Amino acid sequence: MWSDFLRLRGVFTNGAEELIFREVEDLDLIAKAKRGDVEAYNLLVSRWEKRVFNYLLRLVANREDAMDVSQDVFLKAYQNLPKLEDPARFTGWLFRIAHNEAFSLLRKKRPESELAGEPRPVATSGKMLPIELSLTVESALARLSDEQREAVLLKVYQGFKFEEMAEVLGCPVSTVKSRLYTALDLLRATLAPATLSDDFAR
Amino acid sequence: MSCSQYDWKAYALGEMTASERNVAEGHAATCAACREELAGLRLTLDAMSTLREEEVPRRIAFVSDKVFEPRWWQRPAQWMTSPTFAAAMVIAAAILVHAFARPGTDPAAIEAQVNSAVTKAVVVIEARHEQEAAEWNAAYTLLNKQFLQVYRQTSGLALQ
Repeated sequence: MWSDFLRLRGVFTNGAEELIFREVEDLDLIAKAKRGDVEAYNLLVSRWEKRVFNYLLRLVANREDAMDVSQDVFLKAYQNLPKLEDPARFTGWLFRIAHNEAFSLLRKKRPESELAGEPRPVATSGKMLPIELSLTVESALARLSDEQREAVLLKVYQGFKFEEMAEVLGCPVSTVKSRLYTALDLLRATLAPATLSDDFAR
Repeated sequence: MSCSQYDWKAYALGEMTASERNVAEGHAATCAACREELAGLRLTLDAMSTLREEEVPRRIAFVSDKVFEPRWWQRPAQWMTSPTFAAAMVIAAAILVHAFARPGTDPAAIEAQVNSAVTKAVVVIEARHEQEAAEWNAAYTLLNKQFLQVYRQTSGLALQ
């Protein structure tokens, strides 16, 4: 009945089968890059840049910053690749670097963004056009704390499992769940007003 | 309020095992409150899926790009053995030998020599530029005249 929930593997990731092939190819590229094959690393970058960029874009909420941080992430990853012991953990490892880089930027910029004040509330009455809805989503995400937003990005858009998220964020699974669940409650209050849920509740 | 023993967020986020899912779905079939909870979560996640993934605005500079190569002073072993460096050394040696072999040369004389050479070169280049400009100008005037003729003929206007 609700089985279509189960296809959820991350809005920004592809189907499960494609992911498996991708992982196999990535393992090969990582092994080559670890041996100093620059071309293999360049290929890895081109395969991961879009996901990393989109995660950073939503997290730091600034296109130029997201681009600069993406650049730093891939440079740091290249420099530290010899230290990556298990190539199968590459994805989490890469996002851990991205997480660290993003938060060091956010910490630097925080005093400034606090002065910007509360973002304006979003009206969500009635049915919305897709473009309105995606703007509403963007605005609702922006109102979450950095940590809550990041949890949503990793789970809903990047399709990480709770355990993988704990590794990326360097915190216990219980913390991951608590951030994510609070964020979902907040998002739901904006995105799914009770009036719209009638036809689903039957 | 939904029943607290069912973690519907874990369900909606794909974090339940197959057997947990079966139990939860069995319960939802008989519980309106849990169905409502699920419906809200589904609406939320559906709304969130409308956010589009964006293209990377510029390409990430690859590690093989020039910017990541060590600068020439960071790799002395390479530049000291390069042919360019060897050539530079030979030229430097030649200049030194030349300078010491002719100790009596007057710097003012050298400057005068350099100045006259520069003046001569400037005159030659300026003359060439002027000639080029004149050629362009003539070509443009001719083309303009031809264009006007064709234009008048085709638009049926009488020539004066």
